[in-house]
Amino acid sequence: MRSNRVGWLLLAPTILILAVFGIVPFLYVLYVAFHQWNPFGANPNMIYNGADNFRRLVFDAEFLTSVWFTLKFAFFAVASEVALGYLLAQLFMKDSPGKGFFRTIHTLPLIVAPIVVGSVWRLMTTPSIGIIPYLLNDWFGYDLNIGRDATSAFVITVIMDIWHWTPLVTLTLLAALVSLPKEPFEQAQIDGANRWQIFWHVTLPMIRPAILATVFIRLMDALRTVDEVWMLTGGGPGAATRYVGLHIWKLVFPKTDYGYGSAISVIVLYLTLVMCWLLYVGLVARRDRKRPS
Amino acid sequence: MAGVSVRNVVKRYGSVQVIHGVDVEIADGEFVILVGPSGCGKSTLLRMIAGLEAISDGEIAIGGKVVNDVAPKDRDIAMVFQNYALYPHKNVADNMGFSLKIKGRPRAEIDAKVRKAAEILDLTKLLDRFPRQLSGGQRQRVAMGRAIVRDPQVFLFDEPLSNLDAKLRVAMRVEIKELHQRLGTTIVYVTHDQIEAMTMADKIVVMRDGHVEQVGAPLDLYDNPGNVFVAGFIGSPAMNFIKGRIDARDGGQIFVSDAGAVLPVSGVNAESGRPVVYGIRPEHIDLDGDGLPATVSVLEPTGSETQIFARIGEDPIDAVVKARLKVRPGEEIRLRIDPSRVHIFDRQSSARL
Repeated sequence: MRSNRVGWLLLAPTILILAVFGIVPFLYVLYVAFHQWNPFGANPNMIYNGADNFRRLVFDAEFLTSVWFTLKFAFFAVASEVALGYLLAQLFMKDSPGKGFFRTIHTLPLIVAPIVVGSVWRLMTTPSIGIIPYLLNDWFGYDLNIGRDATSAFVITVIMDIWHWTPLVTLTLLAALVSLPKEPFEQAQIDGANRWQIFWHVTLPMIRPAILATVFIRLMDALRTVDEVWMLTGGGPGAATRYVGLHIWKLVFPKTDYGYGSAISVIVLYLTLVMCWLLYVGLVARRDRKRPS
Repeated sequence: MAGVSVRNVVKRYGSVQVIHGVDVEIADGEFVILVGPSGCGKSTLLRMIAGLEAISDGEIAIGGKVVNDVAPKDRDIAMVFQNYALYPHKNVADNMGFSLKIKGRPRAEIDAKVRKAAEILDLTKLLDRFPRQLSGGQRQRVAMGRAIVRDPQVFLFDEPLSNLDAKLRVAMRVEIKELHQRLGTTIVYVTHDQIEAMTMADKIVVMRDGHVEQVGAPLDLYDNPGNVFVAGFIGSPAMNFIKGRIDARDGGQIFVSDAGAVLPVSGVNAESGRPVVYGIRPEHIDLDGDGLPATVSVLEPTGSETQIFARIGEDPIDAVVKARLKVRPGEEIRLRIDPSRVHIFDRQSSARL
């Protein structure tokens, strides 16, 4: 009994912090989601309106478009980050001069605050002063204007995310690769596998847990991107980069539509959970399923 | 099946040379064991045969074909690693059939071969299990099964029994030997355990510091060790070594240790006064009422025999006798050394005289 009490005592600070900063706000958001509440609107009071907010969002084209853009954004960003991160991790596995130096500078984007990343990329992509439009024009005659062209804006937000977060993927996959035993790879060589077969049949399954954890983290992050994109494009042009996080922010802050914003937050949280669960079922549970003989 | 020729093979890591011109001839179907202490280069040599390490100099041929620049997958070999190197995410059947699957063989053929190998190794019931669900001995057998499925020209074993407990090791020794008798495939096997080498090999290659010290049949090495290192490495308990010199007495020769003990020799090819090392195996010393007086330090009875740690004068000596002794440490016993089983080594070169 006594050790149990000590255990709870030791856990208490964590539980307290979690409750204050995690559970209570979550429950509050859930509560607000069932109300109409715009403190600066005609009626500043919180009015219970049942599932009205949720009914509204199902037919809200703006919201649905932002979800669709967010999914596209998350897919392209995370897929590229994992592919690129894996390649870089493999590169850092090899002994080469200056490896430590490159490994260090390649992680630098990780320590830059998203808001700074957004502003730097904005500087770099602003037509007539940014280096990227300048070089693209100089080399390929291409006129990049992310304030006007929706596709360009989308692509640049994806590239910015890749630039910012690939090092995280590289680091986690590098850690996974370093910790692998070398014998199965030697065995695979003797078994007659070529490099691609070794990657597909040995490396990939062995680092799958690390890949999965990384994809989870990155996917959740990408689905709630706000600050970088807000700095870079402000969600534009039009609604081309108005990802769902940004959409919620615009509803809650400039428009002060707290009730509807909360409802969307809850739905986005639910969507994120469902996607992670699907990933888990697709990639992890499959492995543990017993093969019929 | 094929023989393996290792000709003047050298391995360097940068400026450090770890294998110094090794020559080994392995006949078709032979069971050869590379044995030596840690760091003697035996595993490196095996990995060079496998193609997992580049050869710095010299050449290795498998089945008469030089394979220096041939990739491991094209050498037609199978290897069993110390920690088994099973693919953790594949079940036993898939582990065993992987090499055939890679080659694009039809599913039916793979299944048939896996099943056959599984029967040989008594793995049939485990085919659906994953490596994490198997015991050490079962994993070991799966690793061997994977090698058998390949039906290679040469089997390479890299300390395959080191991770097993003592009892299982003895059982697997028998199993591997039976497997060799059954399949007749050439085996190159690395171990640091001389008992494994003695019990399984057709031919033993004793290595030290990247050199081959001696090559021979197990009993040949036991009876005629070429130098002090081989004499001490082969045989358990290890041979007694006493430093001293050869002397003449009563028209014959005797050995006088540096501490003054006088021990018998016969037919020694060394002149009187020459500094030598006297070697006698514990099992070639017996109890005898007329023997040399020795003081008991420690007794280790094992039931079937008794190991005696004693001193003749100042010189420690280790004997193994069949009898059960009722003596206590500090008491005196009398030991007889069979002079015909004595080995005399040159003290300088450590070579046998």
